[in-house]
Parts: sequence; structure tokens; C-alpha cells
Amino acid sequence: MLSFIGRSVVQKTITLFFVSIVSFLIIHLAPGSPSQVDPMNPKFTPEMVERFQKEFHLDKPLYIQYIYFYQDLFTGKTVSWKDNQSVLKKIWERFLNSLPLFVVGTLITWTLSFPVGIRSAIFRGGIYDRSATFISYVLISIPGFFFAYVLIIFVVTYFHVPVIGMETFGIGDAPATYLFMDRIWHLVLPSMLGATGGIAVLSRYVRSQMLEVEGQDYIRTARAKGLPAEQVHYKHALRNALLPFVTMFGLILPGLIGGSVIIESIFSWPGMGRMAYEAVLARDYPIILTVNFVSAVLVLAGTFISDLLYLVVDPRIRL
Amino acid sequence: MTVRRVLIFAPILLILVLLQSYFWVPTYEQQTKGSPARLAGYIAGSIGDASLLNPILSADSASSSINDMVFEGLIDRDEQLRFRGRLAKSWEIFEDALFYVNPSARIPGLGKADAHTLADFIKHAQKTTRIKDPALKDSLNRITDIFVLPSRTFTVSKSFKDSNTGKEKTMIIRVAAPPRIKLVLNTVDQDLFQNLTHLLGEDYFESFHGKDYLKSDAQLSKEQLAAYTQELIPAVEHNPILLFHLRPGVKFHDGHLVEADDVRFTYEAIMNPKNLSPRISDYEPVKTVEVIDPLTVKIVYKRLYSPAIGTWGMGILPEHLLNSQALKKEATRLGKDLKTFSIRSSSFNRKPVGCGPFKFQNWKSDQYIILDRFDDYWDGPPNYQRYVFRIIPDLLTQEMEFYAGTIDSYGVQPHQVERLEKDPRFQNFSGVAFGYTYIGYNMRRKPFDDPRVRRALGMAIDVEKIIKYVLYGQGESITGPFVKQTDYYNHAIKPLVYDPKGALKLLAAAGWKRNKAGRLEKNGKPFKFTLITNSGNDLRKAILAIAQDAWKQIGIDVNTDLLEWSVFIQERVNKADFDALILGWQMGIEPDLYQIWHSSQTNPYQLNFVGYKNKEADDLIIKIRQEYNHNRQIEFSHRLHEIIAGEQPYTFLYVGKWTAVLDKRIVIKTVDDTGAIRHEKITPTKTGDYSFYFNKWIKLPKAPDFMNEG
Amino acid sequence: MNMVEKKLSNDFYIESPLPPKRTRMQEFQRHFGQNRLAILGLFIFILFFCCAVTGLFLTSGSRPIFDPAMVRLQEKLRPPLAKPNLDSLQPQEVPALGVYLMGTDDLGRDVFARMLQGAWVSLTVGFVAVGISVLIGIFMGGIAGYFGQHHIRTDHILFTLALILGTGLVIVNYTFIGIVIILLCLAYIFYSCLARHESTEKETPVLKAVLHSNAVSVDTLIMRIVDIMLCFPSFFLILTVVALLPASIYNIMIVIGLTSWMGTTRFVRAEFLSLREQDFVAAAKALGLSNFRIIFRHIMPNAIAPVLVSATIGIASAILTEAGLSFLGFGVPPPHATWGNILSNGKNFIFDAPWLTFIPGVAILIVVLSFNLFGEGLRDVMNPKLRERH
Repeated sequence: MLSFIGRSVVQKTITLFFVSIVSFLIIHLAPGSPSQVDPMNPKFTPEMVERFQKEFHLDKPLYIQYIYFYQDLFTGKTVSWKDNQSVLKKIWERFLNSLPLFVVGTLITWTLSFPVGIRSAIFRGGIYDRSATFISYVLISIPGFFFAYVLIIFVVTYFHVPVIGMETFGIGDAPATYLFMDRIWHLVLPSMLGATGGIAVLSRYVRSQMLEVEGQDYIRTARAKGLPAEQVHYKHALRNALLPFVTMFGLILPGLIGGSVIIESIFSWPGMGRMAYEAVLARDYPIILTVNFVSAVLVLAGTFISDLLYLVVDPRIRL
Repeated sequence: MTVRRVLIFAPILLILVLLQSYFWVPTYEQQTKGSPARLAGYIAGSIGDASLLNPILSADSASSSINDMVFEGLIDRDEQLRFRGRLAKSWEIFEDALFYVNPSARIPGLGKADAHTLADFIKHAQKTTRIKDPALKDSLNRITDIFVLPSRTFTVSKSFKDSNTGKEKTMIIRVAAPPRIKLVLNTVDQDLFQNLTHLLGEDYFESFHGKDYLKSDAQLSKEQLAAYTQELIPAVEHNPILLFHLRPGVKFHDGHLVEADDVRFTYEAIMNPKNLSPRISDYEPVKTVEVIDPLTVKIVYKRLYSPAIGTWGMGILPEHLLNSQALKKEATRLGKDLKTFSIRSSSFNRKPVGCGPFKFQNWKSDQYIILDRFDDYWDGPPNYQRYVFRIIPDLLTQEMEFYAGTIDSYGVQPHQVERLEKDPRFQNFSGVAFGYTYIGYNMRRKPFDDPRVRRALGMAIDVEKIIKYVLYGQGESITGPFVKQTDYYNHAIKPLVYDPKGALKLLAAAGWKRNKAGRLEKNGKPFKFTLITNSGNDLRKAILAIAQDAWKQIGIDVNTDLLEWSVFIQERVNKADFDALILGWQMGIEPDLYQIWHSSQTNPYQLNFVGYKNKEADDLIIKIRQEYNHNRQIEFSHRLHEIIAGEQPYTFLYVGKWTAVLDKRIVIKTVDDTGAIRHEKITPTKTGDYSFYFNKWIKLPKAPDFMNEG
Repeated sequence: MNMVEKKLSNDFYIESPLPPKRTRMQEFQRHFGQNRLAILGLFIFILFFCCAVTGLFLTSGSRPIFDPAMVRLQEKLRPPLAKPNLDSLQPQEVPALGVYLMGTDDLGRDVFARMLQGAWVSLTVGFVAVGISVLIGIFMGGIAGYFGQHHIRTDHILFTLALILGTGLVIVNYTFIGIVIILLCLAYIFYSCLARHESTEKETPVLKAVLHSNAVSVDTLIMRIVDIMLCFPSFFLILTVVALLPASIYNIMIVIGLTSWMGTTRFVRAEFLSLREQDFVAAAKALGLSNFRIIFRHIMPNAIAPVLVSATIGIASAILTEAGLSFLGFGVPPPHATWGNILSNGKNFIFDAPWLTFIPGVAILIVVLSFNLFGEGLRDVMNPKLRERH
């Protein structure tokens, strides 16, 4: 067990190192170097460009820049080129904004997928199963931004309530319960939109896992014993079908950053995805690189956690 | 089965919790739900963020809409566009008129006279009844006092470029000026010297040869000499004076009193070249700004300048926060270079302090700017507790936030107007804007130097079609450079009629004939040019397409190009490197066309980039600038309008209409002396300004009945 | 005789394996035919394909039948199926069908023509991007699965690094040193190729031993690369790269392709690993067939089914990704229509002209859905294990 942890930590660190190199290269080798930051801005005189380059070590060779950048990152000194604020502070701020969206989205995905998937498996081939299948394909296929606009316009025109942003603008000093509920309301649409794809995929997966387990001999035995169908499904089958999902807990971590760019831009949600998008537009390399790095860490941490969980729950695996 | 129940109830519970929150959220109808303070705040939506919250530096509309709330000028215009006092309680306009004694001129009935005799002669003329000329009599009656300024000698050093070597050189000019007579007038009398010639002889002022009194160590050319003479000893000089009496007890938001020094400081800040103020040309004619006492400030002008008073609507800056000591302190604190640190670099521009009805509270870049009510505002605090300027870059999001009640106003797009006007929840106002859109031709280039060609090009474009389809009727045609709502606009001039055949005839007269392929050509050269405009403006893009198409119909080969704004301005407009362009002007009320139409403004980086030159127009522009008589100003403007419309340096397209949509719950609230509260419908002023009484606005929980009556 | 014969033939009958009642193709058709959703998907997919191809011909050229760039401002925001106002139009401006099938946009351009043009963009993006990713995936996965146990020697790594360094130096203008390094590498490769034939007997010196020591197996190397690539948040990575590169449809295809090959690699590897141990591969090896032949004639046909399935679904997600990028304003430069940018331009008019949002939105939905359904149907049919459980 310990050796497994040790080995995988080393392995993940090496991977992380390569990720950092690759992302650094992608950014810096792309055409349009950062030295031309905003050449349209008339206030950007050549002297200022030079000073700017010096300040951010852009005049040095790439590998030195690389060392400088990650040195700054680990000591927390990296600053955004756009407004000179600390990148880590900014990311942390935005992370806290994204967190509720992520948590609620995940909750919706996980609580909804199981009953839907299990029911599909139990009544496989029936009208319920087939329509659930079709709907989940529709949910996977619908372009998120299109769906988002349709939903927003539906809600705004029929209910006349604000849905953009993290809270109703100008709500000011309302009592705490109102503020809280207002925030929850603003979570509803974006988190549901974020969850649609997840629900569809996960419920399909639940269904196939259940089917797989239901075909096993011990289920047949349980049935043959005359156990009530419910007990067979929910006790014997479900428990065994759950196994692989435990490991998926770890894999949802990276969702914190990746999938939210479009949803956050549409809802003007000041989260990580939107920050990343704005950074791309402004060519704010420190932010882009840090976001990349953080998400790589999240991915690796996620796989690590899922490996560990697997180790814990599945007695057959001994590493 | 517990597991099953949990599996089913968990999602249901979760969804219920999420959805019930709907009942806590303020809806459009019930915006006070949870937060009664919502009604006391006004939220304005905007596409772009402000840049500098400083009235002397900012030039963009987002910044100025905030500056208008935070800062206050000496005067502004009332509902009828007349001036009214704000920080200035009252003001006086009068004049010092000066002229040099001309010892060689013979005065009728007096002969050659020295200064004192001349002064006595004028004084005597005031009293005597012998003078029949009523104009002269008027002028004489306006003189309240006469002083004799003794002769004096002074030296000035001038630097100039040597025409042979091209080096900078300095020379010294010695002036031995003769005595001068100063007439103090109780009003501005632009015709004073004209009228005095009836008393002092036709050529008294003309025959004064200033250059005789100049001596220089360097050789001067004739033109140089004339220029220096005009500058150093002009025969006559008008010095209009503005005397402002400030309102006592007006405070800045930090409690500091507003005094005459602040006015002087604001002027100096504008003129300080380090600050690069875009307002500098408005204040260039100012000679001095004198502080008489803390509540009186005297502004002396170098010459007749009729738009002068209008310029004092400029927001007044607090001297104590921005003077050199304050800037020095800030520069040392920030560790910046003292020499280059100016008001432009000060953090004041991000947290301004003024004396307007709202005080600055908070600014989060690209998100919002919050202003709070200034309770000590001299004119009584506004009804709204808070003014929020909210930045939403997406048009659709703006519209939806408006429907949801989280912004109170936003820039309504032409295509939305019809739908929003019908909505019973909103009241709407519309009016004609103060700006116009045009196609400008570079008159330095052929064939645009021919007015017939320009006119023909204009006739080939169906402006009515543009107004109908591109603007959805939200516009009017325009024929000249003046604001359509003002008297200066000449309504007698008819717009160009859409007439492609007539255009072809005109072009044929100018030598452009259609060839076999139907293309226009002259001496074998095809009619071909490029029409450009800036990207990012859909209306201009649409006009670009229409114009190209319209000209193609009459056989002109037009290329089009959309350029990014800064490239467009810096590379093409400023350097006058274009054939034709589509652009718009935002106009002020004053009829001053100097910057855009005067022939002296055709150099690179100046605003007459089409290169319009017309002697008569030049004279009229100067005359309008110096004319203090409103009726004569109108007369000149109408003539100028006629000339420009005749020459067609621009194809004047249209002036847009704006539409503002507001919730019907927003009304005017007034409290009379007995303390009774009255609500009234918001009505636009005669000039179409619906937000004139903004400080009296308030939002009610429910639309009052009178709003729904229609 | 008769009896004997009959007995013999009977025996023979029993001994010989039964020929399948249906061929594989028939089996496939039967199962696929049962999956009505998949049939629907296939049908829509074929329809879409035809539309895109005919659309390409109808909308390109100097005088296209449907001109997606024709601006008719007086006809702006006309609803679908509206008749053009013939009085205000020049003869060449009248739409080809005499009706605005899908309405017009804010500049009066025919939405139907623009949708046709956009269909081709979606189609090419989907196919090219997935083509790239499948090629890379099969290549990497095949190598990892088939040659996985081979080890890469230290000297290989060293001279690969040196080669990269040399190329890099040439690129950044240290031409001379770069070329020297590249030449040295080539010399070394040449030398080691020669040395291979005659090395065996002599004692190997220490340096050589170190150089020839096994550093890492091919399988590990490729799988680590896959791990590294999986660490990037894919949409964000694509967004970044597309934003940095000049706007062009080809960049989008390449970038999407280069960032989505990892899944294919993984299961191609898994297929190869299991197929390599199968008897028929062992037999082929025993017959002395070349690796090349074994891979392409024997293993690949058996491993291709899941690749096809994932490619179909990959096309769906590539189309979605392209639409998302267009929506955010990246990718294909504006005058050219794509479904994503028709939608993102049209959304400002959603209250006045909802068709500008709904037509492209629903079109994307239907096409992506058809690919997904078809792909899932394929998966069901090709995987008998899954099939039995239904």
C-alpha cells in the first residue's frame, strides 16, 4: 500500500513536470509573442514594451523564463500581466465562486443518475428505458450554449426573474435568508446546464453496470431463493454495481475548470472558467499557465484518489 | 426498502430545494422582495467601462456619464437650453476694449491727438448730444470708464526655425509700444471699434502701423513681421470678461468648500501640457483667470469668443487634492518619477471627489461603478440613494437583465424599439440625437475635388432606404453640419433627392461617361476608389454595403474596407490617407465649426481631414465664433449651412434617434413646502432631454395610476 | 454403397463445423435493423452528408446558386418561408428558390444558404479532426500494444533528444551547431546499424553497456504521453491554442485532432494486447509472417470495430466543440458561415428573430444526435457481449 502511494506520487510528479513543460512550450511557441502585448494601445511606447519584457523576463531564453515562471508560481509571486494582481489570489477567489456551481452540479448529476439508470435497467427494453435512452442522447448532443439561451429566455420571459450572475444585482442589504435563497436560485440554471451531459452519461453507465451485475449467477441465485424483486435489485445487485462508481468520485475533480468556460461566460459567472477565457482573450500568460497547471494537478490528484478508493473498496485488488 | 426510498427522495428533495428558491428571488414585478433598498437605487447598464473619472481628461461617453453625476460645473443649460447657474450663483459678461493711440492719424474736429486728449475727447463725446449716429451712441453709452495706459517698452524672445539651416534659433524682439487707451464696457460690444471710426475717423485704427514699434536683431520676413505685430501690438483688442459669483457654502464630497481657487486650478490643469487634456482648445482663448475673492473669479479672454460661457459647464476639480503638493506626495508614496507624474497618472481618476449630486463609492473594473447620494448637495440631495453603473458587454444579456428588473435603463437597439414601445410595463422617450453620420470625401484627391462629383455620389445613395431598413425608422435625414434641434440649422435646405439618373447626368457634366461595360470612365480611366470605415459598428458596416452597392449601380467601382478603430483613426483619418470614409460626429449645442470645417484645420491629426477649404465659409466660421448677437449668429449659420450643403464635402446621411425605455414605476417625486409628496410622470424637456430632472426621480413599488392612463 | 455413402456423409456432416446460417454481414444487418434509433441516426447522417456536399457546390464559386454572402438590407430579419419582396430586389438578388426557406439574418443574408455553407464546415471539421485523432490513436495504440514489451535504450533517448536539440538550434538560427549535432546523430545511427551485425562476441565496454541499457519500455513511454495529454483540460487547451493561432478552419481541425487521440490509443492498445495473445496471431507468427502483415491483415480488422464506434461519437463531439469555439468568436473568420457563428450572431435578435438561434441550434442538435445514435447502435451491434444482455 505505502509503496503504491510512493510510486504513484513519484510518477505523478514526473508527469506534472512534463505537463508544465508542454504547456509552457505551447504558449510560448505560438505565433504572436507576448512582447506585442496590446500594440494597438497608443500608450504602449517601445520603451514601455521593453520595460515590460524586462519585468517579466521575456527577454531571456525560454528555459530561463520557464524556471523563473515556476519559481514564482511555487513561491506565490506570479502576477497577472493584465492588472498586476497575484495570480494565486485571483484563482483562489474565482475558485471559491466556481465551487458552489460545481458542488450543486455534481449533486444533481449523482443523485439523479442513479434512480434513472437503475429504473432503466430494471425495466430494460420498456418504454421507460427507451425514452430515457433517447433523452440522454439528446442531452449529450445538445449544444450547451444553445440550451442555455433557450432556458434563460424561457425563465426570464415567463417568470421575470434575474438569472444572470451569482446573485440578483442590487439586492444589497437584504436579510441573510433572502440573500442565501437568491444565490441558490442563481445556481439553479447554470448548475443544471452543467449537469445535463453528466446525468446522461452517468445514468447510461449506471444502467449498463446494473445490467452486467443482474446477469451474474449470484443474482440468479438470489432470485431463485425467492427473494422479493426489490431486495434483489436494490440490495444484491446495486451494491455490487456501485463498485466502479466509487472510483469515479476522484475523476470528477478536474470538472472544476474544464467544462465551465461557455456556461460561465453566458451567465457572467465570475468563476475559474470565465477567468481562463478572459485570460486567453487578453493573452495573460501567467494566468493561462497557472490554470493549466492547477487543472493538471487536479487531474492527477483525481486519478490518484480514484486509485486509492479502488484499492480500499475492492478486496480483489492488492497492489 | 430504505435504499430505494433514499434513491428516489434524494433527487426530489434536492430539486425541490433548488426550485423553491425561486419564491425568494425578486421578480420584475416585485423588485423589493427581500431588499426594499432596491427602489432607492438606479442601475444603468452600459456596454463599456469608464476609462478616467476626471472631467478634464475623459473623452468617452461612459466616463462622462459618471463625471456628470460626480462633478458639477459653474453653469449648465436649463430645459430651454438657456444657461443657468450651478456652482456660480450669477455671472456678468463685460469687456475691456483696448486700442493704441495712433499719433499720426488725424481725428475729425481734433487733428492729431495724444492719449489724454483722446480720452477726454471720447468722454466729451459721451456727454454731447451732437452725435446723431445711433449705433455710435449705443457704443459710447456702453463705456463706463476710460483709462490711459502709458507707453512702455518690453522685450520678448521668440524661437523660430531658420529657413536656411533648419536649426532652432532664438531672437529678441524689442517693442516700444505707444500709450494705449482702455475702455471699460458694461457689456460685450463687438462693433465698438467699427462704430468708433465714425468718431475718430475712418482709418484711425487701420493706419496704426504696429511694425514701426518693433525692433529685432534678426532679419524677419514680411509674413513673420506681420504675425508678430498682430500678436504683440495689435491696433485694437477686445478682452471679453466673465465674472462668476460663486454660490457660498457649496462643498466637495470630502467637506472642503468650493472656492474660486478651484476654478482657477481647473483651468490651469486643463492648460497644463503635461495633462494632455482633450479640452485644451476650448480654453485656449482665455487670457487670465483671476481670483478676486474666494467667491468671485474673473476670466479674461484674449479676443471675442462667443462660445466662452458654454465652456464653463466643465466639472470643477478640487484643488486641495490635485495640486502640486498633493501630486508630489502621491508620487513619492508610489515611488513614481516626480517629473512625469501628472493628474493623468493620479489615483484620483479612479476615486474622484467632486461636488455633484452623487459621490463616488466603488469601482470594480468591468463590473460596476457605484455612486452614493451626496446628502450635502447644495441643490438638495437626489431622491435616489444610489446610482449604479453596471457594465454588461453583451447586448442580449443587457436586454434580459432589463426584463428581469436588475437594470433600469440600457442602450436600446433600433430593432428592439418597436417591441419595447408596445410593452405596457414600460414608458419610453425618444428624441433626435446630437450627432450625425456622413460619408466624407478626401477633397485633396481626384475626382473628389469636383463638387459635381460629390453631389452625384450623394444623389446615388438612397438615404431614406438606409433610415427605413438599417435604422428601422430611428433616424432623420440631415443636410448640414448643425444640430437639427437648434436654430442654427437651416431648415430651408432640402436634402439631396435619390436620383441615380440625375447623378449620372452630373457625372457626365464632370466628364465621367459610361463605357461599353457600363463602367464610368474619364479619359480612359475608370472611376474607382475605396470606401472605408471602422469595424465594430454594425450600422456603419451596413451603410458601407449599401453605398458600395448604390455606386456600383451607376457604374462606379468601389472597394470597401473595415478597419480596426485605432488603425482607422491613426493610420487613415489622422494622416488623411483615404478616398472616402463613413464616420459620425457628435455635436455640441454651440454652432462652433472651427475645428471641423475651417481651412486652417486640414493638417494631419486635425479634424478637417476631408480638406474642406472655402474662403467664405472660413470667414463665417470666425464670425460665428466672435458673434455675441444670437440673431446674427443664426444668420451666419444659415449661410454657412447653405455653402456647405452646396459644396457637399460630406454626403450628410442621417441623424439618429435615440429611444430610452424605463419602467413605468419610475416617476418624478417632489416635496412641496407643506411636506406633501407629489408624484408626477416623467416628461422630457422641450429639447428631448428626459433625464433632466434625474435628481427628482424615484422608483415606486407599483406603477401609479396616472402612468397607465396613457 | 448407398448406406455407406450416407453414413459417411452423415459422419462428415457431424464432424464438420456448421456453416453459419447467416453471414457476418447479415447478422450485422439484422441486429442493426432492430435498433430503430440507430437506423434513424444513420439516415440523418446520410442526409446531412448529402446536404453538406451539395451545399458546398451550391454555395461556392463566383456566382453560386445560393449566395451566403449576398447582403439585402431591405430584406433583413424576414421569417422562414417568407416571400421576397420582389420590387425592392435586383434580379440577381432574388433567392434561388423564390422564398427564404429559413428566413434572413440581420443583414438580409439568406439563412438557408448560410446553413448549407456551414454544414460543409461542420462535416469537414468532424471528419478531418477525427481522422487525425484516429490515425494518431491507432498508430500510438498499435505500437504500444504490439511492440509494448520492447525497450527503448538509453542511447535512443539520448540521440532523439540530441536530434530535437539540433533541430531546435537550427530553428533559432544557430544553424552551424545545429547541423553539426544532427550530423553527429545521423552518424551514430549509421554506426549502430552497422554494429548490430557484428557485435556479439567482444566484451562490451562500460560506456556501451550504459548506453545500451534498457531505459523504458515503449508501452510505458506511450502511456505516459497519454497521461500527460490527459492532464490538460481539453476544451480550455483547444481554446487557448486556437486563440493564439491565426483564425482558420484548418487550425481548428488540427488542434481538435491533436487533443483527442488519447481514448483511441488506449483501447487500440487494449485490443492489441489481447489479440496478440490469440491463437491466430500465434499461428501467423509461426508461419513467419512479417510484423507488418500481422498487424494490418490479422489484428487490425479485429480491432477496428471499437475504433469506428468511438470515431463516430468523436465526430459528434468535434462538431460540438467547433460550434462552441465559433460561438465564442474563435475559429473560422466571419464572412464564412458556420452553424456556431450563425447562432452567436443571431442570439442578439432572439426576441425579434428567434429562427436565427433555433435553426442552427436545432441543426447542430440533430446532427450530433444522429452521430451519437448511430455510434451507439454500432457499438451495440459490434459487441455481442453487450447485445445479449438487452
